[in-house]
Order: sequence, then structure tokens, then C-alpha cells
Amino acid sequence: MLQATQPGWLMLLSSLAALPLVTLLATPACGQDDDRAPGWLATQIDQLLEQSLEDAPRAPAAGDTEWLRRSFLDLAGRIPTTTETRQFIADTHPDKRGRLVERLLSAPAFSQRMADAFHILLMERRGEHTEWLSYLRTSFAANKPWDQMAREILDPNADAETIRGAAFFQTRRLEKVGQQETDYAGLTRDIGRLFLGCDLQCAQCHDHLSIDSYRQVDFQGLYTVYQNTVIRTDVSYPAVAEKLLTKKTEFMSVFDKQPQSTGPRIPFGIEQPIPQFEKDQEYAVPPDRKTNFPGVPKFRGLQVIANDLTAPGNQRFAENAANRMWFLFFGTGLVNPLDQLHDDNPPTHPQLLKLLADGLISMKFDLREFTRELVLTHAWQRTTVGSAAEQRLYQYGREKRLSAEQLLISMLTACGPAAPSSDTQTESSPATVGFSESAEQKTIREAFVKAFGNVPQDPELEFSPSLKAALFVMNDPLVAQLLQPANGNLADRLAKLEAPNELAEELYLSVLSRFPIESEQEFVRGHLQQQPDRPAAVSNLIWSLLASTEFCLNH
Amino acid sequence: MTSFSQHCRSWEHGWSRRRWLGNVATSAGGTAIASALPGFLPAAHSSALQRASKQVLFIWLDGGISQLESWDPKPNTEFGGPFRAIPTAVPGIHVSELLPRTAQQMQHLALIRSLCTQDNAHSSGVDRIQRGDPKNRGVVYPYFGSAVTKLLGPNQSGLPPYVWIKPLSGGFMHKDAGFLGPQYGSLAFGDGKPPQNLQRPAELSAEIQEQRLRLRAEVDQRFAAGRKGYAAEANAFVFDMGLELMRRQELFDDSQVSAADVERYGTHDLGRHLLLARRMLEAGVQFVKVNSYGWDTHGDNFNGSHCLVRRFDQAFAAIIEDLAARGMLEHVLVIAMSEFGRTPRVNGHLGRDHWPEAWSLAMAGCGLKRGIAVGATSDAGTWVTTEPYDIGHMFHTWFNALGIDSQHTEYSNNGQPLPIAHEDCGPVREVLA
Repeated sequence: MLQATQPGWLMLLSSLAALPLVTLLATPACGQDDDRAPGWLATQIDQLLEQSLEDAPRAPAAGDTEWLRRSFLDLAGRIPTTTETRQFIADTHPDKRGRLVERLLSAPAFSQRMADAFHILLMERRGEHTEWLSYLRTSFAANKPWDQMAREILDPNADAETIRGAAFFQTRRLEKVGQQETDYAGLTRDIGRLFLGCDLQCAQCHDHLSIDSYRQVDFQGLYTVYQNTVIRTDVSYPAVAEKLLTKKTEFMSVFDKQPQSTGPRIPFGIEQPIPQFEKDQEYAVPPDRKTNFPGVPKFRGLQVIANDLTAPGNQRFAENAANRMWFLFFGTGLVNPLDQLHDDNPPTHPQLLKLLADGLISMKFDLREFTRELVLTHAWQRTTVGSAAEQRLYQYGREKRLSAEQLLISMLTACGPAAPSSDTQTESSPATVGFSESAEQKTIREAFVKAFGNVPQDPELEFSPSLKAALFVMNDPLVAQLLQPANGNLADRLAKLEAPNELAEELYLSVLSRFPIESEQEFVRGHLQQQPDRPAAVSNLIWSLLASTEFCLNH
Repeated sequence: MTSFSQHCRSWEHGWSRRRWLGNVATSAGGTAIASALPGFLPAAHSSALQRASKQVLFIWLDGGISQLESWDPKPNTEFGGPFRAIPTAVPGIHVSELLPRTAQQMQHLALIRSLCTQDNAHSSGVDRIQRGDPKNRGVVYPYFGSAVTKLLGPNQSGLPPYVWIKPLSGGFMHKDAGFLGPQYGSLAFGDGKPPQNLQRPAELSAEIQEQRLRLRAEVDQRFAAGRKGYAAEANAFVFDMGLELMRRQELFDDSQVSAADVERYGTHDLGRHLLLARRMLEAGVQFVKVNSYGWDTHGDNFNGSHCLVRRFDQAFAAIIEDLAARGMLEHVLVIAMSEFGRTPRVNGHLGRDHWPEAWSLAMAGCGLKRGIAVGATSDAGTWVTTEPYDIGHMFHTWFNALGIDSQHTEYSNNGQPLPIAHEDCGPVREVLA
């Protein structure tokens, strides 16, 4: 564990927090990925939402600081620095918001943010692997289309070094836990949940009782493939192999006991025939007993599932992706729960879900372009202030949970040294920034994930404060260390500011990314009087803002 | 995955102290916050608070204690095994000779010897029993502990309402909560150890920390103005709970326990954990679950029981004696049970297998008769000969013992009304006080 006196933690401030900022300020705005003018989909989204708002009063657009903090957290995974905030406020360009969105979208921090978000979404805190994280980062850095990523995860290629880490999605779930058998049913269920938005668990043993469209064959068609997979033991990286798939899976409902069978089949799709081969002709690459290489069958169920599931005609694949992206930026799905996409659980805005799914398909699953359209909507840009009066969804902006990763880098940004102004920055190559992590940085990140993340297999959806997080913020040496004055960090800067008004401004701008209002100036003055020990008063004030709900939400 | 609501998130309902306390307050038609001094509250108010002051100790003997080597001995019969039955403090009630100390506390206990339940597999049985085996409605029902903390509402202790003391690892066990939402999960103290970060750093004084928390509350108050406020309230709740747990650190300090108590309860896991459970109950924790593992005696049942049951006897008798001496059995409901009993027939490995058909459990305390044994099994212990009781009957019984009308109280799962216990069952009236 890191000691409070260890200087290394402070050194990390610059390496973790400053690097991405450098690039954000220095990267020039880049062009569109598409011929259509930016905002083409955003306009249509707003039109549909307009209808559903009826006569509920629309909340105004968020002011500059509220908007900037939200944009940074959603697109760069952290709060803005004081420099970034001041520069943005001073910017008089009529389209400064549009321009900032472009800068953020093309910065490496955006691909890191997406990699973090999809890591949490897909792994649900089951653990991580260097090659998996690196796969996600490089894929988002290259703005790989989502359907391609899905294929690479569903049918991992162990021979391509840059993408083989994608196999971790499956190998982690194939690992045996304690005395339990391999949970093939759990892996099958997660394929349905995470790639199609359909939790087929209840259809494992019989057609779903309350959801007419979830039938047992929808589960069994996937299960046929996944029960046939194994973790490869002949290589040191995550890799999955398939046994020969020669016959259909037979199953029967626990209710009517009628025997049925299915070959590989995606839910709600078409069953694929299982080709028969001569003996010794089944393998494209035969197994090798000496090296433990399990071989590659000519007919592979993983390939069938990967192709059929991501095929252009599979509307559910696009709907699920659209719904989960919507959740990421609006804090709630159009379909809730996110894995209950079916006729009996209609979306809150059915036309909107269709518009988004069609839009995503027309963008060829370009998630960066899709993100741009979401954040250009009026709906995303509305203020959250006053949301107690909300009568209709999306009448106000929506508060969102921050991930452990967002909290870590935001705390570092808030408490670290002031960022230098942008004209002194150097370019950083997207290929290197944020891609390496020291052992110590990893330890700190893991401590944050432990404190602020959910337990394994529990999706991180809502803001759910926990006792362990509160105790971490109250007592962990890592947090205490952030409050120690050193080398121009926040505590150091504040201790040197004599005038309470200046101190309050620097404090609020650094931690909450906005200027204090009069009552907050008064609050700061009051505490400085109450606590004459200036360093103690400063660390108390910083702590109280770091531990606040305003800081730990994206609002 | 618990909320189907479009407008609210599940925690927005669950974590709100204002709502929790508000429920208590509105029952009196008043607007006062219930955290005011209970003595000054009107009558209806105090009855709600009285209900909230009820507590539960739930001892789970995982794997299945043998009823024949504990509560329902059948000496000198085909399947009776080598142990004798001994008389207890209550004339006419006999228990296994492996329970000598508990026999001396029989005047406080209520036994059920006529359990007949459904599931003989551990993996599903534990869940089924602890969730009360309700009818399948496509939702996951809460464990008894989550149910009780939901239905009783928060008490005034400021401590986590549902605590689980268990061997091995700890952490927050949200799965217990089922559809009630993860916030009703249990806070598990692995091997009775406190959660991480319970110690304030040496360089930070208690005074400064409390100053900080007051500042934090002020900052949150400003943020919450004009917002829905649930987020800030939920956050306040966990910070308050953290501080309260830090103030009560002596709960985890073994040096505060008298040597005599340690000796009475035993130095084995179950003894240490039940002693900690007593201190948690004294401190006001609403529901304390204590787990003991290793009761699945498929092989060598008799040596196994000799060791396991005697340890249980020592610790269980000690805590019953202490709760009685402190007057706590007036408001603490004690339950000791497993997911099923064990087969009367002895298998080829001198073991007993799983037997949900006819088995027993022990209870004591609030709302129950004392010194009573309800129900009976056949001479060989194989079948229930009186009215058989399923786990649903026990849930009804426990809820009623705690002052909850189990047949007229419902959960609301986003508008879906759900019975709190199996609607085909009812309470075991003959054991209710």
C-alpha cells in the first residue's frame, strides 16, 4: 500500500492527469467522418423528443461551465483544468461549443474514455487483461466500427497480435471459479445481454414465461456454440478454441418435455446447417498433441455467430448498440433495463430508438460520429439545474454516475498542478499517450476501482453510493495525499492565496470546474475564520468539495 | 436490472432517508423527522419506532445440521445413531446429548420439528430457503435479512441495517437483496474483520474529520437545491454510516471482550462470530446473520456432528443466555437453521445425506412462545406426522413475530404488488406469543 509520505504518488499527477490535457488543447479541430453536416441526426433526435415533451417547459441550455464539465467528463473522461475552463469562457467564437466537441472527439483521451466505458460495459468488473485493454484502446483510437469490434470479440483471431486480446471477453467467462463448473450458460446469456440487449436466461430451460419473443431455441442456438468452446492452454495470451461441432444440440422444455434440437443459431435468427466432413477432414488446421494446440475446425460456430449477429439485417444488434450508447450519454436507456429489449417492454421513445438504430447503421457503426450526434442534441446540452421540477424525460439534462476511472483522473486533475497554457504544449502521438501504465499507477487505479466500482458481474448503471467508497474518501491515504501541499498543486496554490475570494475562486474552479457564487464565497470565508490553521482549512475545503455529490456526478 | 421504471432509478426509492423516515412520520400524520427523541413522539409514532427497534439474529448452519443429532433425537431406533437424548430445562422436551448447554436454555427456545420443504440441493436450496420460496413471479425475492430491513425500516442506530458475519471474505453482498435493489444487500464482515479504511489516518484528528463532514454536508445542500435530491441523500447516508461505524470501532476490537465471554462462547469461528454478533445487536444493528460452514456430513456424520454440534451448542447457549439476561429477547428474534435436514437412513460412508422431508429448526425471542416444541416426526424420524410446515410458513411466522402482518403487507416492485411470503402458507399460530 502506498504511504502518505511517499512522493511517487504526487509525481504521478503530472504523468496521469497532464498528458491527455496537453493533447486536448493542442489538437486541431478535424473534419467530419461523413458527408452529412454534423448535427444531421441530432436535429432529428430533438424533433422526436420535442413531440414527447408536449407542453412541459424545456430547461434552458447549460451555461458555459456546466456544459464544459459535462463535455469533458463524457468525451475526455475527466473534468477540465482551470486553464481549459478559463480559456473556454474567454473564447468568443460563435461556435465555440461545436469546435470544442470536435477537439475532444479527435483527442486520444476520447478513445481512452470509450475504451474505459466499453471495458466496464463488456466485462462488468470481472477483471482485466493487458492485451484486452490494449485491444480496446487501439480499436477506439483507430475508430474501428462497432460491428467490426463485435466480430473480433465474438470470433477472436489468436494469430493477429494486435487484436487477439479481444478473446478475453470469452476466456474470462470460461474460467472455472472455485469448485464450480465452467459457466457456459453464463457466457451464452452475456452474449445475448451485451450484444443484443436480450437477457435469455429464463429461456434456458423453457420458452420465457412472460416474454413471448424469448424462446428456448433462442438460448439453445447460442449455447450449442458456447458449450463447445475451451480456453487454449498452449499460449500465454487469452485465446479460445472450439471443439468439433458435428451435431445439433437436443433439448426439451421442462414443462412439455417435447424433444427439440438446434444447430448454431443467433437469437431470433436462422439456424445454420452443420456441414459433415469425412473423418480426418474436419480440421482446417489439425490439432497438435505435442504443443497442446487444439486445432481449428473447418466449421466454426463462433464464426457463424459473429457473422450472423453483426449482419446488416440484424436490427436488434443496432438497437442494442444505440440503446447502450444512449445510456452512456443520457444516464438512462431508451429501453430499461438495458438487456430487456423485447415487444413487451417497449422503449420510452420507440421512434427514437428506430431513428438511432437506423442512423448507426447508416454511419456504418462509427461510434465517434454517433457520439457527436448525441452531444450536439439540445437534449444532451440542457441544464440539470432545477430538475426537481421534471415532468417528462429529457426535459432537463440528466445526472450520470462517474466511473472509478473518471473519478480517479478527475481527482488528479482537480488536485494536481495547474496545467500550463496551451501554446507551450507539444504534440503527443495518439499511439503512445495513455497506453502505458506503471505498476504504481495500476495499483492506484485498482484501488479506485475497488472503492468506486461495483462487485463483479453487477452492471454499473446508476449512481449508487457505497459505504466502502465513503470510507475510502474519508480515510484512504491516497486521498489524504492529494490534499498535501506540494510543487504547485492545488493545496500548495491555495495556501499561498491570501485573499479569501481568490482562494474560493481557485478552489471552485479547480474542483467543481465553475466559479463560486456569493454564498459559496461566504462559505469559504466562514471556514477560513473558523479554522485559523490555513493548511488545515485548505485541505478541509478541498476535501469537502471532492467528497461532494456535485463532484462525483456528471451533471 | 431491477428497475423497470422510466422516470426514477431504483436507488432513488431505496436510499432516501427522508422517505424512510417519512414513512414513519406519516403514520402519525405528522411531519416531524423521526430522528427526534423517541420519547417525545406521539403514540402512533412510537409504535412504528418500536417495530423499527426489533432486531434479528439469523444463524445459518450451511450444508444442513442433522436434526437427529440436535433438535429431534430418536435414540434406540433404526436410524437413531449412537447419541442419547437428554432432558432439558423444560420438562418433556428432550434434545440430543450433543446440546447439553442449550438444553439448559430450553425455557427460552421454541423448536419446530415438523419442517417439510422442497429442495434437496444446496445450490438451489440455500437460495430457496433464505428467500422464503415464494411462487415464481419472474422476480428474484430478497433474502430474509434484506426483507426484514426493508419492511421494518431504519432504526436509530445509524449502523448498517443488515450485517453478515462469516468466515473468509467480506464485502457488500448485494445479491441478497433481489428485486428490492442492491442497497438492501448485506454488509459482510469476513471473519468478523472490519471493512477497509475504517481507521482514520493518524495525522487526521476526529475533530477535523467531523469538521470536514459538516462542510461536505453544506456543499451538498447547495447542490441538491432544486434537484431531485436523491443522489445527495444517498451519499449522505453512506458517509453518516461510515462515520458511525468508525465511532463504533470497539465492536471489532477483540481486546474489549472479557476473557470469560471468550471462553463461554468458544474460540472457534462460530464462537467468535456469535460473540461479535451479540455486540452488533447490542450496538443496534437491525439484522445480523452469522454463517457457519461444513455441516454437509455425507461422510462420518457422527464424528462430524460430535464436533460441529457441540461447538454450536457452546456458542448458541451462551448467546441465548446473554440475550435473555439483558432483556434483549423481548425485541430480538433468534433463528438457527440450515437449508434442509439430513436423511435418517445412514449411508455407506456412515454419513447422512440431504433430507428436506422432515427436519427441525430452533428459534427464540421476540413475538414467540418460550419453552415449546412444535410438531413431531415418525418414530424413525423419517416423516412429519403432524401438520407439515414449509419455509413459507416460517416466513409468515417470523414476520408476524416482528410485528409485520404478513398476510396484508405487500412489496411494490415498480407497481407490481408482491406478497412478502408464500400466499398458500400462513403463520404457525401455536408458536406465536
